[in-house]
Amino acid sequence: MANRAVILISLWLSVCAANSVERKIYIPVNATSPCVRLLNATHQIGCQSAMRGNTGILHLVANSSDLDWILSDGPNPPYIAVIEAPAFTRDILMRLKTNPRVSGVFLLSSDVPPSTNYSPDLKCPNEYFGVYTDDYGAEYLACNGTQWNPHGNSLSYEDFPFPVFNLMNSNESDVIRECYFNHNHPVNGTAPPFPLCAMQISAHMHGVTDTPTCMRRSSAQGGLSLSQDVMCDPLSDYNVWGSFHPVNQTGQVSAESKFIIAASRLDSRSFFWNEAPGADSPVSGFVTLLAAAQALRKVTDIQDLPKNILFMFFQGETFDYIGSSRMVYDMKLNKFPIALENIDSFVELNQVGIGAAIWMHSDPVSRRNETVNEEVVDLVKNLQEGGTETNLSLHEPSHTQPIPPSSFQRFLRERNIPGLVLTDHETAYSNRYYHSTYDTAENMGIKYPDNLSSEEKLNFVTETAKNISRLATTLARGLYRRAGGSSAPEDIEADPLLVSRMLYSFLIQPNNSWFESVLSSDLHTNLDKPLTFYVAVQSPVPVTRIVQQILGNVTGTVTNLTQENCTNGDQTLKGSYSYFWIDGDANKTESHCVQAYVWLTKAQSPAFHLKDYTSRAFSTWTESRWKDISARIYLVSSKQLEIITLVTGIGILALSFLVTFLLSSKSDILFSTIPDTSPAAY
Amino acid sequence: MNLERVSNEDKLSLCRKYYLGGFVLLPFLWMVNVIWFFREAFTKPQFNEQQQIRKYVKCSGVGLLVWIAVLTTWITVYQTLRPDWGSLGDYISFTLPLGSP
Amino acid sequence: MTVAVFFGCTFIAFGPALALFVLTVAKDPLRVIVLIAGAFFWLLSLLLSSLVWFIAVKASNENDAQLQKTLIIFGVMFSVLLQEVFRFAYYKLLRKAIEGLSALSEDGQSPLTVQQMAYVGGLGFGIMSGAFSVVNILADSAGPGTVGIFHDSQYYFLTSAFMTMAIILLHTFWSVIFFDGFENKRWWAIMAVIATHFLVSGLTFLNPFYEVSLIPAYVIMVVMAAWAYFTSGGSFENLQHFFTRKKLQ
Repeated sequence: MANRAVILISLWLSVCAANSVERKIYIPVNATSPCVRLLNATHQIGCQSAMRGNTGILHLVANSSDLDWILSDGPNPPYIAVIEAPAFTRDILMRLKTNPRVSGVFLLSSDVPPSTNYSPDLKCPNEYFGVYTDDYGAEYLACNGTQWNPHGNSLSYEDFPFPVFNLMNSNESDVIRECYFNHNHPVNGTAPPFPLCAMQISAHMHGVTDTPTCMRRSSAQGGLSLSQDVMCDPLSDYNVWGSFHPVNQTGQVSAESKFIIAASRLDSRSFFWNEAPGADSPVSGFVTLLAAAQALRKVTDIQDLPKNILFMFFQGETFDYIGSSRMVYDMKLNKFPIALENIDSFVELNQVGIGAAIWMHSDPVSRRNETVNEEVVDLVKNLQEGGTETNLSLHEPSHTQPIPPSSFQRFLRERNIPGLVLTDHETAYSNRYYHSTYDTAENMGIKYPDNLSSEEKLNFVTETAKNISRLATTLARGLYRRAGGSSAPEDIEADPLLVSRMLYSFLIQPNNSWFESVLSSDLHTNLDKPLTFYVAVQSPVPVTRIVQQILGNVTGTVTNLTQENCTNGDQTLKGSYSYFWIDGDANKTESHCVQAYVWLTKAQSPAFHLKDYTSRAFSTWTESRWKDISARIYLVSSKQLEIITLVTGIGILALSFLVTFLLSSKSDILFSTIPDTSPAAY
Repeated sequence: MNLERVSNEDKLSLCRKYYLGGFVLLPFLWMVNVIWFFREAFTKPQFNEQQQIRKYVKCSGVGLLVWIAVLTTWITVYQTLRPDWGSLGDYISFTLPLGSP
Repeated sequence: MTVAVFFGCTFIAFGPALALFVLTVAKDPLRVIVLIAGAFFWLLSLLLSSLVWFIAVKASNENDAQLQKTLIIFGVMFSVLLQEVFRFAYYKLLRKAIEGLSALSEDGQSPLTVQQMAYVGGLGFGIMSGAFSVVNILADSAGPGTVGIFHDSQYYFLTSAFMTMAIILLHTFWSVIFFDGFENKRWWAIMAVIATHFLVSGLTFLNPFYEVSLIPAYVIMVVMAAWAYFTSGGSFENLQHFFTRKKLQ
């Protein structure tokens, strides 16, 4: 006992987080990612626990009898359903959702994707925020023409009354399985005796109901409320844009200047927070665009073309086109150097990583206008010429088919711009795992020979990279022709090695020598884990800055500025350039300063700028705040043992009073031989 | 204060002060009045001022009951219907519960 | 629901101490002062021993498990020794207090005898020692989980509570015997107190075999109780009278 006291006091002195008793009781489960609550103008989606977390007896769902055990048969509710990856289906989750005996769901995820399609996103992504409305192409409203994501089960858009966690670490999964099989696994349909293995999952969300409610409470305008807690934040980040021509940041370009916008999106999502590997969507698209930019950089007359080429990377497109809607909004208000009228044409790269064929989608409604139609035909011709040269099969889907969900739709809402959306699907997505945790490098067919070191993998050109660089070459030549380039476009050639390196870095291992040699050192700290493409609320996320710097690298030039001048030099001297200081490493690159026309602009939905939180035109997605996201497993004792402990305690208390009362009232009898003491109180 | 040591006139004036004070939206004064002077008003042997004290105590009691009824009704209505009131519900709340509608 | 465990364990650990305090100490302010002072002296001993242990750990190699184990054993033994030293210091202080109290009182006698002070002071020692050894465990017993996921006994809370009860009572009896030893120059009694204190503390090293440490601890407690009873004026005859409810002539 004394030793315990000594240990305890010393632990207090050394300010220890978890004391030794707590460590005897609980095993924290660390490598988890939660499903969190998101809110929009009208709904809340995601998951939620009670203030101090939800607790429940673990039950592993391997077959339907396990599910019945949780839903009706098990004697010790509430249960936390531990689900192996293949059972994480809409059917099972919806049955759990409506049952009060369920206090949480814990997914033990695996790297092996399901054999069937799995997409937790909607069948018709960004349905109400695209170009098709009652007044414009009403026949295409709500994916009436083509269901783009027919296998989407919309789990990501359900509102669960309990927490759902994903565990990605196989060691920790084994600990949980072991705890279950040692203590909880029913034998012949009867529950094993206590103690049982249980879990506590904490993910209490502060935001509730919808964005208007949450923003109203966060700002507490007037009113009697004493708290100033912010309960949710708008999903927002930064768009990346860049060009070969200098574009004055503050002014407006002249009305005669024409720009071809080559665009792509930067974000993705999955059912779980900050888990969005996003290979086909968005990495395949923006990697192609970056490779095309690098190919165009080599052209000598690139700065003197009649039309300028503008690269745009939109953030938050997954959540009802946050980035593009803000860009269009800024353009309309002249808060962006380029106005909508300056846009000559628009080429967007969507999902382009799966399969060899590329489809060029265009908007059938805007093509009813003859001049626009001619421009689109011309654009198609520009691209197809490149396709013929590179042996890439480029097709047009049926002209009555609507344009797939894309940033371009937000531009079409405002102006009839000729444009194309390039994808790897003719009708429905060929990406079987759209916006799920399985949209990884394997989904794009990126394979490496066995036994390659990570450095060798970085420099290995995969088949997928070759396909993508072929598309990048085609795109670059098409853009060059469209921009009025005169010299031989045959010189424009994307670099397959660059593409392969980008795919490796964005999808597999960001912590590699190539990223280190092209990114500024403050970004290196974010490269420990594979990158994730969730837009998030803290901005800019690493991906945004990485894309910005790579775009700077492939479109800019190396200058001989010193580090001081590079990082914080006088902006007026620099004009419309932006600069990145790249720290060299000992053996390869020297430290240098990159100068490029590459910029970030705010990608926050105009709804928050307008404070119109019920907006139907702009995205209103916010992410709830939370205090604690955690999970831990432990054993629980039976109610009987708890009651026995309590009864024993009360018994001992009562007995103590009785005995003490007897002893002290009869102390004169008990302690009477010593004459010089008054009756002592023993 | 020990009422035993207070003269009857002082008791009456005290009771009266508490009774009048209750009208300034201070129902707790009425509650104190009822509890404090209940014995003086109803169980003590008769004395001159008792009649008036009794009146004050009775009126305080009625006022207290009205307050209790009003507050109970309001609290019940507020607790059950606040989420439906939207911004008005938030506006009139001192503390907003995190994570509940 | 494990609030039940929390209250159960609290009642087990502190039930006897509470009863003793309420029925024999609380009524007399002087006894309350002696109890609090006793608790304070135990705290002083803990402060000093934890300081020494803290320095020892910081000064040693923290990754050497064998050395750390040795250090803990050394720390416990040192702590026991310090507690006994402070018990002696408290005895000295109380002796002085008795002189002062006697001088103040009208009949020239202290209102509390040395034995009574020993009992009350010992209870103070015990309560504080018990509080420190069990308060963390009690705090965790209120959480959702119970001990056992690392194959520890699920009766951990229960046995800890019972051990604490024993420690509190043991400190009370030890103080009675210890003070009596100094009063009557019975050095072997003092030695016995120190030895059994070492023994009981050493028994906790047998954890997690809680039964193995709990049973000897309770045997020692019963022996100490009997001894304390006899040193403070008890006898078999008195017990007999007690049970037969006859008053001594």
